Amino acid sequence: MEAVRNALDFSDFPRLDLIVAGSVGIAFIIFPLFPHSSFAMSTMIQFLMFSLYGMGWNTIGGYGGQVDLGKAQYVGIGAYTTAVMLILWDVPFWVSMPIGMFFSVVWSFIIGYPLFRLKGHYFAIATIATSLVLKDIFEVWDFVGAARGLEISPIKYHPPDFLRLIFKEDVYYFYVILGFFFIGILYMNWFRKSRLGFQLRSIKDNEDVARSLGINVHWAKVKTYAIATAFVSMVGSFHACYIKSIEPEDTMSLDISILIALMAMLGGAGSLWGPIIGAGILIPLKSYLKEWLGAQAGMVGIDLILYALIIMVISAFEPRGVWGIVEKIRRRKRS
Amino acid sequence: MAFLEVHNLTKDFGGLRANSNITFSMKRGELIGLIGPNGAGKTTLFNCISGLHPVTSGQIIFDAEEITKLKAHEVAQRGLARTFQVYVAAGDLTVIENVMVGCFMRTHLRSRAKAHASEILKDLSIDDTADYLVSELPVAAQKRVTMATAIASDPKLLLLDEVAAGLNPNEIDEIMASIEHVHEDMGITVMLIEHVMELVMKISHRIIVLDYGEKIAEGDPETISKDPRVIKAYLGERYVREHGGMEESKE
Repeated sequence: MEAVRNALDFSDFPRLDLIVAGSVGIAFIIFPLFPHSSFAMSTMIQFLMFSLYGMGWNTIGGYGGQVDLGKAQYVGIGAYTTAVMLILWDVPFWVSMPIGMFFSVVWSFIIGYPLFRLKGHYFAIATIATSLVLKDIFEVWDFVGAARGLEISPIKYHPPDFLRLIFKEDVYYFYVILGFFFIGILYMNWFRKSRLGFQLRSIKDNEDVARSLGINVHWAKVKTYAIATAFVSMVGSFHACYIKSIEPEDTMSLDISILIALMAMLGGAGSLWGPIIGAGILIPLKSYLKEWLGAQAGMVGIDLILYALIIMVISAFEPRGVWGIVEKIRRRKRS
Repeated sequence: MAFLEVHNLTKDFGGLRANSNITFSMKRGELIGLIGPNGAGKTTLFNCISGLHPVTSGQIIFDAEEITKLKAHEVAQRGLARTFQVYVAAGDLTVIENVMVGCFMRTHLRSRAKAHASEILKDLSIDDTADYLVSELPVAAQKRVTMATAIASDPKLLLLDEVAAGLNPNEIDEIMASIEHVHEDMGITVMLIEHVMELVMKISHRIIVLDYGEKIAEGDPETISKDPRVIKAYLGERYVREHGGMEESKE
Protein backbone atom coordinates (compact mmCIF):
# COMPACT_ATOMS: atom_id res chain seq x y z
CA MET A 1 0.00 0.00 0.00
CA GLU A 2 2.72 2.39 0.99
CA ALA A 3 4.58 1.52 -2.20
CA VAL A 4 1.61 2.65 -4.30
CA ARG A 5 1.28 5.82 -2.26
CA ASN A 6 4.98 6.57 -2.70
CA ALA A 7 4.77 5.98 -6.46
CA LEU A 8 1.91 8.46 -6.78
CA ASP A 9 3.37 11.03 -4.41
CA PHE A 10 5.40 13.74 -6.15
CA SER A 11 4.98 16.28 -3.36
CA ASP A 12 8.68 16.58 -2.58
CA PHE A 13 9.29 18.29 -5.92
CA PRO A 14 9.02 22.08 -6.17
CA ARG A 15 5.75 23.28 -7.65
CA LEU A 16 7.51 24.58 -10.76
CA ASP A 17 8.70 21.04 -11.61
CA LEU A 18 5.22 19.65 -11.26
CA ILE A 19 3.69 22.34 -13.44
CA VAL A 20 6.30 21.81 -16.16
CA ALA A 21 6.08 18.02 -15.93
CA GLY A 22 2.27 18.13 -15.95
CA SER A 23 2.12 20.42 -18.99
CA VAL A 24 4.65 18.35 -20.90
CA GLY A 25 2.70 15.19 -20.03
CA ILE A 26 -0.55 16.71 -21.30
CA ALA A 27 1.23 17.98 -24.42
CA PHE A 28 2.36 14.41 -25.12
CA ILE A 29 -1.17 13.07 -24.72
CA ILE A 30 -2.72 15.57 -27.13
CA PHE A 31 0.24 15.73 -29.53
CA PRO A 32 -1.27 13.31 -32.13
CA LEU A 33 -4.42 15.49 -32.39
CA PHE A 34 -2.41 18.25 -34.04
CA PRO A 35 -1.08 18.07 -37.57
CA HIS A 36 2.35 16.50 -37.57
CA SER A 37 4.75 14.87 -39.98
CA SER A 38 5.43 11.15 -39.79
CA PHE A 39 9.03 12.12 -39.09
CA ALA A 40 7.97 14.05 -35.97
CA MET A 41 5.82 11.10 -34.87
CA SER A 42 8.62 8.58 -35.22
CA THR A 43 10.98 10.92 -33.38
CA MET A 44 8.46 11.16 -30.56
CA ILE A 45 8.20 7.38 -30.33
CA GLN A 46 11.98 7.07 -30.34
CA PHE A 47 12.16 9.70 -27.62
CA LEU A 48 9.70 7.82 -25.40
CA MET A 49 11.51 4.51 -25.97
CA PHE A 50 14.87 5.97 -25.13
CA SER A 51 13.45 7.74 -22.07
CA LEU A 52 12.41 4.33 -20.81
CA TYR A 53 15.78 2.79 -21.63
CA GLY A 54 17.35 5.69 -19.75
CA MET A 55 15.08 5.22 -16.73
CA GLY A 56 16.14 1.61 -16.57
CA TRP A 57 19.79 2.54 -16.87
CA ASN A 58 19.32 5.22 -14.23
CA THR A 59 18.50 2.68 -11.49
CA ILE A 60 21.89 0.98 -11.56
CA GLY A 61 23.92 3.62 -13.40
CA GLY A 62 22.47 6.77 -11.87
CA TYR A 63 21.33 5.94 -8.35
CA GLY A 64 23.88 3.14 -7.97
CA GLY A 65 26.76 4.82 -9.78
CA GLN A 66 27.70 1.65 -11.69
CA VAL A 67 28.41 2.77 -15.24
CA ASP A 68 26.79 0.11 -17.38
CA LEU A 69 27.59 0.24 -21.09
CA GLY A 70 25.96 -3.03 -22.09
CA LYS A 71 22.26 -2.32 -22.10
CA ALA A 72 21.89 -3.16 -25.81
CA GLN A 73 22.11 -6.90 -25.09
CA TYR A 74 18.81 -6.66 -23.21
CA VAL A 75 17.18 -4.65 -25.99
CA GLY A 76 18.18 -7.62 -28.14
CA ILE A 77 16.89 -10.31 -25.79
CA GLY A 78 13.54 -8.54 -25.47
CA ALA A 79 13.20 -7.82 -29.19
CA TYR A 80 14.22 -11.32 -30.29
CA THR A 81 12.01 -13.09 -27.76
CA THR A 82 8.97 -11.18 -28.97
CA ALA A 83 9.83 -11.53 -32.65
CA VAL A 84 10.65 -15.25 -32.53
CA MET A 85 7.56 -16.08 -30.49
CA LEU A 86 5.31 -14.06 -32.74
CA ILE A 87 6.70 -15.43 -36.02
CA LEU A 88 6.99 -19.07 -35.02
CA TRP A 89 4.13 -19.59 -32.59
CA ASP A 90 1.95 -16.51 -33.01
CA VAL A 91 2.38 -15.58 -29.35
CA PRO A 92 0.87 -12.14 -28.57
CA PHE A 93 3.09 -9.28 -27.46
CA TRP A 94 1.54 -9.10 -23.99
CA VAL A 95 2.66 -12.68 -23.34
CA SER A 96 6.05 -12.58 -25.04
CA MET A 97 7.05 -9.29 -23.42
CA PRO A 98 7.05 -10.68 -19.84
CA ILE A 99 8.75 -13.85 -21.12
CA GLY A 100 11.44 -11.68 -22.72
CA MET A 101 11.80 -9.81 -19.44
CA PHE A 102 12.20 -13.13 -17.67
CA PHE A 103 14.95 -14.25 -20.07
CA SER A 104 16.69 -10.91 -19.70
CA VAL A 105 16.57 -11.04 -15.93
CA VAL A 106 17.95 -14.59 -15.90
CA TRP A 107 20.77 -13.50 -18.23
CA SER A 108 21.37 -10.43 -16.07
CA PHE A 109 21.85 -12.65 -13.01
CA ILE A 110 24.23 -14.93 -14.91
CA ILE A 111 26.50 -12.11 -15.99
CA GLY A 112 25.71 -9.66 -13.18
CA TYR A 113 26.78 -12.01 -10.42
CA PRO A 114 30.42 -12.24 -11.54
CA LEU A 115 30.55 -8.79 -13.14
CA PHE A 116 29.72 -6.90 -9.97
CA ARG A 117 32.89 -8.23 -8.41
CA LEU A 118 34.52 -5.65 -10.68
CA LYS A 119 34.54 -1.95 -9.95
CA GLY A 120 34.54 1.30 -11.89
CA HIS A 121 36.02 1.20 -15.38
CA TYR A 122 36.58 -2.55 -15.22
CA PHE A 123 32.89 -3.06 -14.71
CA ALA A 124 32.02 -0.70 -17.57
CA ILE A 125 34.36 -2.50 -19.96
CA ALA A 126 33.08 -5.92 -18.92
CA THR A 127 29.48 -4.87 -19.65
CA ILE A 128 30.52 -3.76 -23.14
CA ALA A 129 32.23 -7.09 -23.69
CA THR A 130 29.28 -9.26 -22.65
CA SER A 131 26.97 -7.22 -24.83
CA LEU A 132 29.23 -7.60 -27.87
CA VAL A 133 29.66 -11.32 -27.30
CA LEU A 134 25.91 -11.82 -27.15
CA LYS A 135 25.54 -9.82 -30.34
CA ASP A 136 28.13 -12.03 -32.05
CA ILE A 137 26.27 -15.13 -30.94
CA PHE A 138 23.04 -13.80 -32.40
CA GLU A 139 24.83 -13.00 -35.64
CA VAL A 140 25.66 -16.65 -36.25
CA TRP A 141 22.61 -18.25 -34.62
CA ASP A 142 20.43 -19.56 -37.43
CA PHE A 143 17.36 -20.07 -35.27
CA VAL A 144 17.05 -16.29 -34.89
CA GLY A 145 17.95 -15.54 -38.48
CA ALA A 146 21.67 -15.00 -37.85
CA ALA A 147 23.00 -11.74 -39.33
CA ARG A 148 19.96 -11.34 -41.61
CA GLY A 149 17.74 -10.96 -38.59
CA LEU A 150 14.00 -11.44 -38.39
CA GLU A 151 11.14 -9.87 -40.26
CA ILE A 152 7.62 -9.52 -38.91
CA SER A 153 5.43 -9.19 -41.97
CA PRO A 154 2.32 -7.15 -41.20
CA ILE A 155 0.27 -8.62 -44.06
CA LYS A 156 -0.26 -11.83 -42.10
CA TYR A 157 -2.17 -9.89 -39.45
CA HIS A 158 -5.15 -7.59 -39.38
CA PRO A 159 -4.09 -4.24 -38.01
CA PRO A 160 -4.93 -2.70 -35.67
CA ASP A 161 -4.06 -5.84 -33.74
CA PHE A 162 -3.83 -4.84 -30.10
CA LEU A 163 -2.85 -8.29 -28.91
CA ARG A 164 0.15 -8.67 -31.16
CA LEU A 165 0.83 -4.94 -31.31
CA ILE A 166 0.70 -4.79 -35.09
CA PHE A 167 -0.53 -1.45 -36.33
CA LYS A 168 -0.50 0.42 -39.62
CA GLU A 169 -0.51 3.90 -38.10
CA ASP A 170 2.23 5.06 -35.79
CA VAL A 171 -0.24 6.80 -33.52
CA TYR A 172 -1.23 3.46 -31.94
CA TYR A 173 2.41 2.72 -31.13
CA PHE A 174 2.72 6.20 -29.74
CA TYR A 175 -0.05 5.71 -27.21
CA VAL A 176 1.18 2.26 -26.18
CA ILE A 177 4.70 3.51 -25.49
CA LEU A 178 3.32 6.65 -23.84
CA GLY A 179 1.43 4.38 -21.44
CA PHE A 180 4.66 2.53 -20.66
CA PHE A 181 6.36 5.90 -20.24
CA PHE A 182 3.91 7.06 -17.56
CA ILE A 183 4.10 3.72 -15.76
CA GLY A 184 7.88 3.95 -15.94
CA ILE A 185 7.84 7.37 -14.28
CA LEU A 186 5.61 6.07 -11.48
CA TYR A 187 7.88 3.08 -11.01
CA MET A 188 10.98 5.26 -10.86
CA ASN A 189 9.24 7.60 -8.43
CA TRP A 190 8.66 4.60 -6.19
CA PHE A 191 12.17 3.29 -6.74
CA ARG A 192 13.99 6.45 -5.74
CA LYS A 193 12.14 6.44 -2.41
CA SER A 194 12.36 2.71 -1.78
CA ARG A 195 14.70 0.93 0.57
CA LEU A 196 16.67 -0.39 -2.40
CA GLY A 197 16.92 3.11 -3.87
CA PHE A 198 18.36 4.47 -0.64
CA GLN A 199 20.75 1.55 -0.34
CA LEU A 200 22.07 2.18 -3.85
CA ARG A 201 22.64 5.86 -3.22
CA SER A 202 24.54 4.90 -0.09
CA ILE A 203 26.61 2.41 -2.12
CA LYS A 204 27.39 5.09 -4.69
CA ASP A 205 28.52 7.35 -1.87
CA ASN A 206 30.81 4.91 -0.04
CA GLU A 207 30.66 1.12 -0.22
CA ASP A 208 32.31 0.48 3.15
CA VAL A 209 29.87 2.78 4.90
CA ALA A 210 27.03 1.03 3.09
CA ARG A 211 28.29 -2.35 4.28
CA SER A 212 28.55 -1.14 7.85
CA LEU A 213 24.89 -0.13 7.63
CA GLY A 214 23.89 -3.70 6.94
CA ILE A 215 23.64 -3.42 3.16
CA ASN A 216 24.63 -6.46 1.13
CA VAL A 217 26.37 -4.37 -1.52
CA HIS A 218 26.89 -7.10 -4.11
CA TRP A 219 23.34 -8.40 -3.91
CA ALA A 220 21.84 -4.90 -4.00
CA LYS A 221 23.74 -4.22 -7.23
CA VAL A 222 22.76 -7.53 -8.83
CA LYS A 223 19.10 -6.97 -7.92
CA THR A 224 19.06 -3.45 -9.29
CA TYR A 225 20.82 -4.55 -12.45
CA ALA A 226 17.96 -7.00 -12.97
CA ILE A 227 15.42 -4.20 -12.56
CA ALA A 228 17.26 -2.05 -15.10
CA THR A 229 17.34 -5.04 -17.42
CA ALA A 230 13.62 -5.69 -17.15
CA PHE A 231 12.91 -2.08 -18.19
CA VAL A 232 15.17 -2.29 -21.21
CA SER A 233 13.89 -5.69 -22.28
CA MET A 234 10.29 -4.47 -22.13
CA VAL A 235 11.02 -1.64 -24.52
CA GLY A 236 13.09 -4.03 -26.65
CA SER A 237 9.97 -6.17 -27.13
CA PHE A 238 8.06 -3.07 -28.16
CA HIS A 239 10.86 -2.18 -30.56
CA ALA A 240 10.43 -5.51 -32.36
CA CYS A 241 6.72 -4.90 -33.00
CA TYR A 242 7.24 -1.27 -33.92
CA ILE A 243 10.23 -1.62 -36.27
CA LYS A 244 9.14 -5.10 -37.47
CA SER A 245 12.59 -5.88 -38.78
CA ILE A 246 15.34 -6.65 -36.31
CA GLU A 247 18.90 -7.67 -36.79
CA PRO A 248 21.79 -7.89 -34.32
CA GLU A 249 23.58 -4.95 -35.90
CA ASP A 250 20.92 -2.39 -35.07
CA THR A 251 19.22 -3.75 -31.96
CA MET A 252 22.33 -4.82 -30.05
CA SER A 253 25.07 -2.52 -31.26
CA LEU A 254 27.45 -0.67 -28.99
CA ASP A 255 25.95 2.62 -30.25
CA ILE A 256 22.69 1.86 -28.48
CA SER A 257 24.37 0.93 -25.21
CA ILE A 258 26.37 4.12 -25.24
CA LEU A 259 23.45 6.28 -26.29
CA ILE A 260 21.34 4.93 -23.40
CA ALA A 261 24.02 5.70 -20.81
CA LEU A 262 24.92 9.01 -22.39
CA MET A 263 21.35 10.28 -22.39
CA ALA A 264 20.84 9.56 -18.73
CA MET A 265 24.17 11.19 -17.88
CA LEU A 266 23.49 14.24 -20.03
CA GLY A 267 20.06 14.78 -18.48
CA GLY A 268 21.22 13.99 -14.96
CA ALA A 269 22.10 10.57 -13.64
CA GLY A 270 20.45 9.73 -10.35
CA SER A 271 17.47 12.03 -10.77
CA LEU A 272 13.91 11.26 -11.77
CA TRP A 273 13.73 13.71 -14.70
CA GLY A 274 17.31 13.25 -15.89
CA PRO A 275 16.88 10.44 -18.43
CA ILE A 276 13.78 12.13 -19.89
CA ILE A 277 15.59 15.44 -20.30
CA GLY A 278 18.57 13.65 -21.82
CA ALA A 279 16.42 11.76 -24.29
CA GLY A 280 14.53 14.95 -25.06
CA ILE A 281 17.78 16.62 -26.09
CA LEU A 282 19.64 13.79 -27.79
CA ILE A 283 16.96 11.91 -29.71
CA PRO A 284 15.62 14.87 -31.73
CA LEU A 285 19.19 16.04 -32.29
CA LYS A 286 20.18 12.60 -33.52
CA SER A 287 17.14 12.26 -35.79
CA TYR A 288 17.55 15.70 -37.34
CA LEU A 289 21.28 15.28 -37.78
CA LYS A 290 20.66 12.03 -39.59
CA GLU A 291 17.96 13.63 -41.72
CA TRP A 292 19.98 16.71 -42.66
CA LEU A 293 23.56 15.56 -42.75
CA GLY A 294 23.53 11.79 -42.70
CA ALA A 295 22.93 11.41 -46.40
CA GLN A 296 25.86 13.58 -47.41
CA ALA A 297 29.09 11.81 -48.02
CA GLY A 298 31.57 11.87 -45.19
CA MET A 299 28.97 12.93 -42.65
CA VAL A 300 27.96 9.46 -41.50
CA GLY A 301 29.83 9.59 -38.22
CA ILE A 302 28.71 13.07 -37.22
CA ASP A 303 26.47 11.80 -34.41
CA LEU A 304 29.39 9.88 -32.91
CA ILE A 305 31.50 13.04 -32.86
CA LEU A 306 28.62 14.74 -31.13
CA TYR A 307 28.44 12.05 -28.45
CA ALA A 308 32.15 12.38 -27.81
CA LEU A 309 31.77 16.13 -27.40
CA ILE A 310 28.91 15.67 -24.95
CA ILE A 311 30.92 13.19 -22.88
CA MET A 312 33.76 15.68 -22.64
CA VAL A 313 31.50 18.57 -21.71
CA ILE A 314 29.67 16.57 -19.03
CA SER A 315 32.81 15.26 -17.40
CA ALA A 316 34.53 18.64 -17.49
CA PHE A 317 31.72 20.87 -16.25
CA GLU A 318 28.89 19.10 -14.54
CA PRO A 319 29.04 15.36 -13.86
CA ARG A 320 25.42 15.44 -12.82
CA GLY A 321 24.21 16.73 -16.16
CA VAL A 322 21.51 19.25 -16.97
CA TRP A 323 19.55 18.41 -13.85
CA GLY A 324 22.70 18.88 -11.78
CA ILE A 325 22.91 22.46 -13.07
CA VAL A 326 19.26 23.09 -12.19
CA GLU A 327 19.79 21.78 -8.66
CA LYS A 328 22.96 23.79 -8.21
CA ILE A 329 21.14 27.00 -9.10
CA ARG A 330 18.32 26.13 -6.74
CA ARG A 331 20.71 25.45 -3.89
CA ARG A 332 22.49 28.72 -4.46
CA LYS A 333 19.20 30.60 -4.42
CA ARG A 334 18.18 29.03 -1.13
CA SER A 335 21.34 29.78 0.77
CA MET B 1 29.46 -14.09 29.55
CA ALA B 2 31.14 -11.15 27.94
CA PHE B 3 29.27 -9.05 25.39
CA LEU B 4 32.18 -8.73 22.98
CA GLU B 5 35.14 -11.06 23.12
CA VAL B 6 38.21 -10.80 20.96
CA HIS B 7 40.64 -13.71 21.21
CA ASN B 8 44.18 -13.60 19.82
CA LEU B 9 43.16 -11.47 16.88
CA THR B 10 45.90 -11.09 14.29
CA LYS B 11 45.69 -9.18 11.04
CA ASP B 12 48.43 -9.14 8.42
CA PHE B 13 48.58 -6.93 5.35
CA GLY B 14 51.14 -8.79 3.27
CA GLY B 15 54.25 -8.72 5.42
CA LEU B 16 52.93 -6.07 7.75
CA ARG B 17 51.36 -7.22 11.00
CA ALA B 18 48.75 -4.57 11.81
CA ASN B 19 47.17 -6.36 14.75
CA SER B 20 49.06 -8.95 16.70
CA ASN B 21 47.44 -11.36 19.12
CA ILE B 22 44.98 -8.91 20.57
CA THR B 23 42.73 -10.25 23.30
CA PHE B 24 40.16 -8.29 25.26
CA SER B 25 36.55 -8.49 26.29
CA MET B 26 33.78 -6.07 26.94
CA LYS B 27 30.72 -6.16 29.14
CA ARG B 28 27.29 -5.01 28.05
CA GLY B 29 26.85 -1.36 28.94
CA GLU B 30 30.53 -0.58 29.12
CA LEU B 31 32.28 2.37 27.52
CA ILE B 32 35.79 1.53 26.41
CA GLY B 33 38.41 3.85 25.00
CA LEU B 34 40.96 2.62 22.49
CA ILE B 35 44.07 4.74 22.27
CA GLY B 36 47.55 4.54 20.84
CA PRO B 37 49.87 6.38 18.48
CA ASN B 38 49.11 6.76 14.76
CA GLY B 39 49.58 3.49 12.93
CA ALA B 40 49.12 1.41 16.07
CA GLY B 41 46.33 -0.58 14.44
CA LYS B 42 43.29 0.94 16.11
CA THR B 43 41.22 1.44 12.97
CA THR B 44 42.36 -1.94 11.64
CA LEU B 45 41.02 -3.52 14.82
CA PHE B 46 37.68 -1.78 14.22
CA ASN B 47 37.69 -2.95 10.61
CA CYS B 48 38.32 -6.54 11.72
CA ILE B 49 35.60 -6.49 14.37
CA SER B 50 33.06 -4.94 12.02
CA GLY B 51 33.88 -7.46 9.30
CA LEU B 52 35.32 -5.10 6.68
CA HIS B 53 38.68 -6.88 6.84
CA PRO B 54 38.91 -10.66 7.07
CA VAL B 55 41.08 -11.54 10.05
CA THR B 56 44.28 -13.53 9.58
CA SER B 57 43.70 -15.54 12.75
CA GLY B 58 41.81 -15.28 15.99
CA GLN B 59 38.21 -15.21 17.03
CA ILE B 60 35.55 -12.57 17.60
CA ILE B 61 32.44 -13.35 19.61
CA PHE B 62 29.64 -10.81 19.79
CA ASP B 63 26.57 -11.31 21.94
CA ALA B 64 27.19 -15.07 22.30
CA GLU B 65 27.68 -15.60 18.58
CA GLU B 66 30.90 -16.06 16.68
CA ILE B 67 31.15 -13.33 14.03
CA THR B 68 34.76 -13.87 12.93
CA LYS B 69 33.87 -15.10 9.45
CA LEU B 70 30.78 -12.97 8.86
CA LYS B 71 30.70 -10.26 6.21
CA ALA B 72 30.40 -6.62 7.20
CA HIS B 73 26.70 -6.33 6.40
CA GLU B 74 25.95 -9.49 8.39
CA VAL B 75 27.86 -8.17 11.38
CA ALA B 76 25.95 -4.89 11.11
CA GLN B 77 22.62 -6.70 11.00
CA ARG B 78 23.49 -8.41 14.28
CA GLY B 79 23.61 -5.01 15.97
CA LEU B 80 27.19 -3.85 15.66
CA ALA B 81 27.42 -0.36 14.16
CA ARG B 82 30.40 1.88 13.54
CA THR B 83 31.42 5.28 12.26
CA PHE B 84 34.29 6.07 9.93
CA GLN B 85 37.22 8.31 10.61
CA VAL B 86 37.50 9.86 7.18
CA TYR B 87 34.04 10.01 5.81
CA VAL B 88 33.57 12.42 2.96
CA ALA B 89 29.99 12.20 1.86
CA ALA B 90 30.41 13.26 -1.73
CA GLY B 91 27.07 11.91 -2.81
CA ASP B 92 23.74 13.58 -3.18
CA LEU B 93 22.20 12.31 0.04
CA THR B 94 20.92 14.94 2.44
CA VAL B 95 21.45 14.60 6.18
CA ILE B 96 18.09 13.02 6.85
CA GLU B 97 18.44 10.70 3.86
CA ASN B 98 21.80 9.55 5.19
CA VAL B 99 20.25 8.70 8.53
CA MET B 100 17.34 7.00 6.77
CA VAL B 101 19.78 4.56 5.11
CA GLY B 102 20.64 3.41 8.63
CA CYS B 103 16.96 3.17 9.56
CA PHE B 104 16.23 1.06 6.47
CA MET B 105 18.25 -1.75 8.04
CA ARG B 106 15.36 -2.42 10.40
CA THR B 107 12.36 -1.50 8.29
CA HIS B 108 11.18 -1.64 4.68
CA LEU B 109 8.75 1.23 5.10
CA ARG B 110 9.88 4.67 4.06
CA SER B 111 7.43 6.41 6.40
CA ARG B 112 8.78 4.53 9.38
CA ALA B 113 12.40 5.13 8.36
CA LYS B 114 11.73 8.84 7.95
CA ALA B 115 9.99 9.17 11.30
CA HIS B 116 12.77 7.31 13.08
CA ALA B 117 15.43 9.40 11.32
CA SER B 118 13.80 12.69 12.37
CA GLU B 119 13.65 11.44 15.93
CA ILE B 120 17.36 10.66 15.96
CA LEU B 121 18.28 14.01 14.40
CA LYS B 122 16.28 15.75 17.10
CA ASP B 123 17.91 13.60 19.73
CA LEU B 124 21.39 14.63 18.62
CA SER B 125 20.17 18.22 18.11
CA ILE B 126 20.99 18.39 14.40
CA ASP B 127 17.41 18.46 13.15
CA ASP B 128 17.93 21.95 11.74
CA THR B 129 20.40 20.53 9.20
CA ALA B 130 18.05 17.78 7.94
CA ASP B 131 17.75 19.00 4.35
CA TYR B 132 21.36 19.99 3.74
CA LEU B 133 23.89 17.86 1.93
CA VAL B 134 26.39 16.39 4.37
CA SER B 135 29.24 18.05 2.46
CA GLU B 136 27.67 21.46 3.09
CA LEU B 137 27.98 21.12 6.87
CA PRO B 138 30.85 22.09 9.18
CA VAL B 139 33.01 19.24 10.50
CA ALA B 140 31.34 19.06 13.91
CA ALA B 141 27.92 18.58 12.36
CA GLN B 142 29.28 16.02 9.88
CA LYS B 143 30.61 13.97 12.78
CA ARG B 144 27.20 14.03 14.37
CA VAL B 145 25.60 12.90 11.15
CA THR B 146 27.90 9.87 11.00
CA MET B 147 26.96 9.10 14.59
CA ALA B 148 23.28 9.56 13.88
CA THR B 149 23.49 7.27 10.83
CA ALA B 150 25.17 4.55 12.87
CA ILE B 151 22.66 4.82 15.71
CA ALA B 152 19.78 4.71 13.24
CA SER B 153 20.33 1.01 12.70
CA ASP B 154 19.46 0.44 16.34
CA PRO B 155 22.77 -1.15 17.35
CA LYS B 156 23.70 -2.90 20.56
CA LEU B 157 27.36 -1.98 20.21
CA LEU B 158 28.69 1.20 18.62
CA LEU B 159 32.29 1.64 17.50
CA LEU B 160 33.21 5.31 17.19
CA ASP B 161 36.32 6.13 15.18
CA GLU B 162 37.68 9.56 16.14
CA VAL B 163 34.43 11.48 16.30
CA ALA B 164 36.14 14.34 18.14
CA ALA B 165 39.07 14.81 15.77
CA GLY B 166 39.33 18.31 14.35
CA LEU B 167 36.80 19.82 16.73
CA ASN B 168 37.28 22.88 18.97
CA PRO B 169 36.95 22.57 22.78
CA ASN B 170 33.31 23.64 22.75
CA GLU B 171 32.42 21.15 20.08
CA ILE B 172 34.32 18.45 21.96
CA ASP B 173 32.16 19.09 25.02
CA GLU B 174 29.06 18.83 22.85
CA ILE B 175 30.06 15.59 21.18
CA MET B 176 31.06 14.19 24.56
CA ALA B 177 27.57 14.93 25.83
CA SER B 178 26.16 13.21 22.75
CA ILE B 179 28.28 10.12 23.33
CA GLU B 180 27.17 9.97 26.94
CA HIS B 181 23.57 10.41 25.84
CA VAL B 182 23.90 7.51 23.38
CA HIS B 183 25.60 5.38 25.98
CA GLU B 184 23.47 6.09 29.01
CA ASP B 185 20.04 7.09 27.74
CA MET B 186 19.90 4.83 24.71
CA GLY B 187 21.70 2.00 26.47
CA ILE B 188 24.20 1.35 23.67
CA THR B 189 27.56 -0.15 24.58
CA VAL B 190 30.32 2.04 23.15
CA MET B 191 33.92 1.56 22.14
CA LEU B 192 35.76 4.61 20.89
CA ILE B 193 39.04 5.44 19.24
CA GLU B 194 40.12 8.90 20.23
CA HIS B 195 43.16 11.12 20.38
CA VAL B 196 41.48 13.79 22.46
CA MET B 197 42.62 12.68 25.90
CA GLU B 198 40.30 14.99 27.84
CA LEU B 199 37.41 13.13 26.29
CA VAL B 200 38.71 9.56 26.58
CA MET B 201 39.97 9.90 30.13
CA LYS B 202 36.75 11.51 31.26
CA ILE B 203 34.12 9.19 29.88
CA SER B 204 35.81 5.78 29.47
CA HIS B 205 35.22 3.10 32.06
CA ARG B 206 38.24 1.28 30.78
CA ILE B 207 40.99 2.03 28.30
CA ILE B 208 42.90 -0.28 25.98
CA VAL B 209 46.22 0.91 24.59
CA LEU B 210 47.69 -0.34 21.32
CA ASP B 211 51.21 0.19 20.07
CA TYR B 212 52.71 -1.37 16.93
CA GLY B 213 49.67 -3.61 16.63
CA GLU B 214 49.95 -5.02 20.13
CA LYS B 215 47.92 -4.40 23.23
CA ILE B 216 50.39 -2.89 25.68
CA ALA B 217 48.03 -1.93 28.48
CA GLU B 218 44.45 -2.16 29.68
CA GLY B 219 42.83 -0.65 32.74
CA ASP B 220 40.84 2.23 34.17
CA PRO B 221 41.78 5.75 33.01
CA GLU B 222 43.77 6.52 36.13
CA THR B 223 45.93 3.40 35.96
CA ILE B 224 46.51 3.95 32.25
CA SER B 225 47.62 7.54 32.68
CA LYS B 226 50.26 6.35 35.15
CA ASP B 227 51.43 3.30 33.22
CA PRO B 228 55.07 3.92 32.27
CA ARG B 229 54.78 1.97 29.01
CA VAL B 230 51.76 3.99 27.90
CA ILE B 231 53.51 7.22 28.80
CA LYS B 232 56.55 6.20 26.80
CA ALA B 233 54.61 4.98 23.77
CA TYR B 234 51.83 7.51 23.57
CA LEU B 235 50.93 10.00 26.26
CA GLY B 236 54.39 11.51 26.65
CA GLU B 237 56.02 13.04 29.71
CA ARG B 238 54.39 16.40 29.14
CA TYR B 239 50.84 15.13 29.33
CA VAL B 240 51.58 13.39 32.62
CA ARG B 241 53.31 16.45 34.05
CA GLU B 242 50.43 18.77 33.15
CA HIS B 243 47.61 16.50 34.16
CA GLY B 244 49.37 15.00 37.17
CA GLY B 245 50.08 18.54 38.34
CA MET B 246 46.45 19.51 38.07
CA GLU B 247 45.37 16.66 40.24
CA GLU B 248 47.89 17.57 42.89
CA SER B 249 46.82 21.20 42.99
CA LYS B 250 43.22 20.08 43.44
CA GLU B 251 44.17 18.17 46.51
